[in-house]
Amino acid sequence: MQEEFKKALDFSNFRQTYSIQRKNLKEKIDAKLTYGFNGGIFKIDRGLLNFVQMLIDQGRTEGVVILDINENPVLIDKLNEFKDEIFDRYFSTTLEYFEENQELKKSRSIEKLIDA
Amino acid sequence: MKKGILIFAHNNRQIDYARMSLVTGSLAKKNLGVPVSLATDPSTVEWMRESNIFDKASEIFDHIIIVNRPQENNNRKFFDGKENFVAPFNNGNRSSVWEITPYEHTLLIDSDYFVLSDNLSKYWQVDADLLIGSGYNDIVGESRTGYLDRYISDTGVKMLWATTVMFKKTQSTKIFFELVQHIKDNYRHFADVYRFNPLMFRNDIAFSVARHIMYGFEQDAEYSLPPIFSVTDKDMLYDVDANKFTFLITPTMNDQYCITTVKDKDVHIMNKQSISRNFDKLMELV
Repeated sequence: MQEEFKKALDFSNFRQTYSIQRKNLKEKIDAKLTYGFNGGIFKIDRGLLNFVQMLIDQGRTEGVVILDINENPVLIDKLNEFKDEIFDRYFSTTLEYFEENQELKKSRSIEKLIDA
Repeated sequence: MKKGILIFAHNNRQIDYARMSLVTGSLAKKNLGVPVSLATDPSTVEWMRESNIFDKASEIFDHIIIVNRPQENNNRKFFDGKENFVAPFNNGNRSSVWEITPYEHTLLIDSDYFVLSDNLSKYWQVDADLLIGSGYNDIVGESRTGYLDRYISDTGVKMLWATTVMFKKTQSTKIFFELVQHIKDNYRHFADVYRFNPLMFRNDIAFSVARHIMYGFEQDAEYSLPPIFSVTDKDMLYDVDANKFTFLITPTMNDQYCITTVKDKDVHIMNKQSISRNFDKLMELV
């Protein structure tokens, strides 16, 4: 029984470390997906990517106003350049998230978790 | 507009803030790509010379600005994991930052705030004169975050964290910092009005109250700096290598510790003694 209890505690400790590592990774990625542009701050998420792409598809590519995370209007002169920037950041950051998350998921010990 | 970072460091007998600021200053300079200056006092400079770190400091810092050491009887209990000690808390001169900064656009950071990413650099271009850390973000999460980490008192306003403050040198920020000084000078009065504990002066509280007053007693969703990702002083910095910090942390604030790492993410390390123990390794990052 003592041995089983110790194993459970070890597992609990492992899960605690795992959960904190996941939280820290997620926050790091959230920070990387925050983008400052022309006085505003944007969160690069699927909503923003879709909205920007939709505006471009509609032919609205210059002098567009988009609301930022604080609902403040921000003027974007060249929407195509803005789109390229946010798409690049989104894909590179989510790829990094995927790779680091995979490392965490594969880890089966605390040592591996903190090396991931 | 000339941008730069400013760090205050006033040593006491227990804590070598100057040595810490060498690391935080050089990491901030490296990761944010702007110059860094140090505001310190004559006795701390003397200590830096005695301990042979002054030359290094002169390399790292753009300016070493000599100011008066805050004269105050502000003691607090510091933890180093399970141990604790009482030491002076000389941080009452932050309101002078507007006068002494050599920059037109300044990022003020605490000497125990380690900039390991370029995250703060995106805030230089935000259309606001004053940005303050918007809250507290504990390394473990909400379970360890108390009400008084989020609000200045049971009935008071939201707590902002003055660990990071970014400001432009404008008339409105001048008034703001004068107001912070006024709140400090009349701390007990404002404690009565805002119902916070007046026993120990805290910049976080003075800045929160000043901002509340300056913004018309409203708690609006204006721009702010990200919440301060923090490791408490009951946790310990255990090891440092190539930009990865390893911590022993106590999720339930008891004797049980677990291990975790932080990389590419700015971190506020409240356990000063554990920073000192890892100073040589930290200097290798510089």
